[in-house]
Amino acid sequence: MLQLKGRINSSNVMKALWVLEEIGLDYEREDVGGAFGKNHEAPYLGLNPNGRIPTIIDGDLVLWESNSIVRYLAATHSAGNLWPTDPVARARCDMWMDWQLTELVHGMVPVFHGLIRKTAEERDMDAIAAARDDWAGKWRILDDHLSRSTYIGGDSFTIADIPIAPLAYRWYELPIEREDFTHLKRWYDLICARPAFQKHCMTGLS
Amino acid sequence: MLKILGRATSSNVQKVAWLCEELNIAYERTDIGGPFGGNREAEYLALNPNGIVPTIDDDGFVLWESNTIVRYLAEKHGKGTEFWPEDLQARASASRWMDWALSILAPRHVPVFAGLIRTAEADRDYDKIAAARDLWSTANAVLESWLADHEFLSGDTFSIGDIAVSPFTYRWFTLDIEREDFPNLKRWHETICARPAFKKHIIDIGLS
Repeated sequence: MLQLKGRINSSNVMKALWVLEEIGLDYEREDVGGAFGKNHEAPYLGLNPNGRIPTIIDGDLVLWESNSIVRYLAATHSAGNLWPTDPVARARCDMWMDWQLTELVHGMVPVFHGLIRKTAEERDMDAIAAARDDWAGKWRILDDHLSRSTYIGGDSFTIADIPIAPLAYRWYELPIEREDFTHLKRWYDLICARPAFQKHCMTGLS
Repeated sequence: MLKILGRATSSNVQKVAWLCEELNIAYERTDIGGPFGGNREAEYLALNPNGIVPTIDDDGFVLWESNTIVRYLAEKHGKGTEFWPEDLQARASASRWMDWALSILAPRHVPVFAGLIRTAEADRDYDKIAAARDLWSTANAVLESWLADHEFLSGDTFSIGDIAVSPFTYRWFTLDIEREDFPNLKRWHETICARPAFKKHIIDIGLS
């Protein structure tokens, strides 16, 4: 059986949990990282030398990097559905998945960690406000894209939606100022109607 | 013909030009970004709202994010070759290093590269550069441990996983910085440096 290693409150682990639920694949999960530790110990580092989560083990393949895990599981279990087989359609998905890594996540990290994983005394509210502004600028780009596209990858739900939506949950749940991004909200409401997203990603902030 | 928009000195443009050379894909390139500008103007932002390079136009199909462009061109022109194997596990292994280059390696190299190459000497914060170098080194230590057991990043053969990482390794070995002794990383880097397409699009361009 497929093994997944990582704590469930990590947005990167959520991507893997969500895609596994969408494709209906059985798996065993072990809590690793955060309060559970183990991610900087030799057995885990032997699987993932970065000491980060998630990691999956599928037969002979040990795989890390959450977006690569999403791509791999969708390619092996949902080709033509979550994972487009047409190269152009797939490239459109890949582009927004990479954008989540290169652009979107950088605004989120200081805001989320500042407000949720730090104490009130530790918080630098000016840094949080500046990061929020940067993050909002990224959502503005996606909002504009979603004015022309039902889902991020096109007309249907695909792997392109999976890395981004757990961050959208944080955007809408954190106690921060939010611009009125109507297309983003329309898309987010569609995502929130998915039972697998509700189960694994709408689980509070910690 | 394929159009690449982006200056030749960008590590992200270099990935794309290098792959095109390896797969004999004909293209035209336009200098955009850095000293050439153009990337914050409406015409470019309509193609790529992030205002960064590269962007490609492949007979009307506009695409950005350099690793996505590399995957797309490999799928279109190199499917089933060593660059982009059919086997989904082999692909996943290459793909993981591409994501890793985005999530870990590139952000850790930026303060060092920008600090030493794109900042005037009088404006440099050497303490910050040194701290960033130490962090960048931890990413190279991950490569070192991996390459102790693997010929290339995704196994026995060269793939697009190597393309996404190598432009940053070139900078590691070329910048005027302290370097730990990473013999496996060095061995892999020298194998990459022997590729004519890498020499043309990365080594001969130098650091600027």
